[in-house]
Amino acid sequence: MTTMTDEAHARLGDLLPAYALGALEGEELAELERHLAAGCVACQRELAAWRRDLERLAAEVPEVEPPAAIRASLLARVAAEASPSRPPRRRLGYLAAAAGLLLFLTGATSWLRVSRRAEELAAEAVLLETRLATVSAQLVEAQAAAARLSAAMEVLSAPATRSVVLAALPGAPGARARTFVDPETGRAIFYADHLPPLPPDRTYQLWFIAEGRPVSAGTFAVDDAGQAALDVAEVAPPDRIQAWAVTVEPAGGVPQPTGEMVLKG
Amino acid sequence: MADPSDDLEDVLLVGRIAARDAAAFAAFYDRQASRALGLLLRMLGDRPEAEDVLQEVFLQVWQQADRFRPQRSSPRGWVLLLARSRALDRLRSRQARRRREERTAADRGDDRSEAAGTERLEAEERAERLGSALEGLPGEQRRAIELAFFEGLTQSEIAARVGAPLPTVKSRVLLGMNKLRHAFGAGP
Repeated sequence: MTTMTDEAHARLGDLLPAYALGALEGEELAELERHLAAGCVACQRELAAWRRDLERLAAEVPEVEPPAAIRASLLARVAAEASPSRPPRRRLGYLAAAAGLLLFLTGATSWLRVSRRAEELAAEAVLLETRLATVSAQLVEAQAAAARLSAAMEVLSAPATRSVVLAALPGAPGARARTFVDPETGRAIFYADHLPPLPPDRTYQLWFIAEGRPVSAGTFAVDDAGQAALDVAEVAPPDRIQAWAVTVEPAGGVPQPTGEMVLKG
Repeated sequence: MADPSDDLEDVLLVGRIAARDAAAFAAFYDRQASRALGLLLRMLGDRPEAEDVLQEVFLQVWQQADRFRPQRSSPRGWVLLLARSRALDRLRSRQARRRREERTAADRGDDRSEAAGTERLEAEERAERLGSALEGLPGEQRRAIELAFFEGLTQSEIAARVGAPLPTVKSRVLLGMNKLRHAFGAGP
């Protein structure tokens, strides 16, 4: 394999935005496609990031309500090929919770073992699915779960990731939780267990404190085993995070914490 | 902005659509159609044509839900990309039709090229009125990215359209996309 200089690689990297736009052509297009086909992970990741930017650009167009006739026409055409709906099952909950507990217990260092285990879980999920119901629906759901797991593993395996343990407060004795933040991507994951379930009008909400102010990192529910996992796309850099906390809030979450704090770290 | 739990909800719906669940298809349509129609209108400028393509797009969603890969994009991104591809196809056949008409008109000595010119001017005016992250960019960078994204032009086609050298256009695309990345990164 020919080694490439950093400059040559940077030059190829500069072609990625035009490639994502579909505006690249000729020799530059051919060269970049060869490079991507050769399996450069850094460029594939960067390309995915440019594509996400373009999705955001596309999603900025103002919404325009289509006429009801289009919906009716589509549903009529689809009805001929449709199958009856099944009630949704909590497969994702099972997978994320099992993987989450495993990741929590093994900590940030045994990523190989985790990745094999995660593959086994995903494979198990697929086996169960194909036995029970239509193949494609189940595969898509397992892939979604696997995608969330791989996002979590990216955070866990990143060299700069920092982790914070949260301690239980009297409201939830025995609860444990941990956050992992990757300062390079700003992505964080959160795992908790031994949290009691809440009544339907309440939810748990995760906060981080930065510059003296609490910022919501999302709401979550615990599953039957008292476990929860949360994947947060963007948090402040770990240096600026003064604390993490979990509170009990009205269902749907609130902009500022109002309820009892159950975990803090 | 895109909420991970929204995406997850959409991924589950796409999975059920792949299993031929019509109710999931209706729910997914309700969540995605107005954004898709907005994009189609932006690109095509013609309401009846945009509505036509909207139907094509969602029929494609119904047929190809099993090909969706959550690792590659969000379900919203997937639908918008489908919409953009079909709109670009329409734009290209419009262009081909117009070129044929102009050739015919030239043969006949007519002067119908005015109509085409007006249509282009209207498209440019429409571009000015959009509020988006693009507005934060210097005009030439914004124009280059708009032409690539909403009209599907390559860099040399952009150069021809705006009358600038190709290396300049390449630089505008790169700088503009980097500014967009920064604008999105700094957002909520």
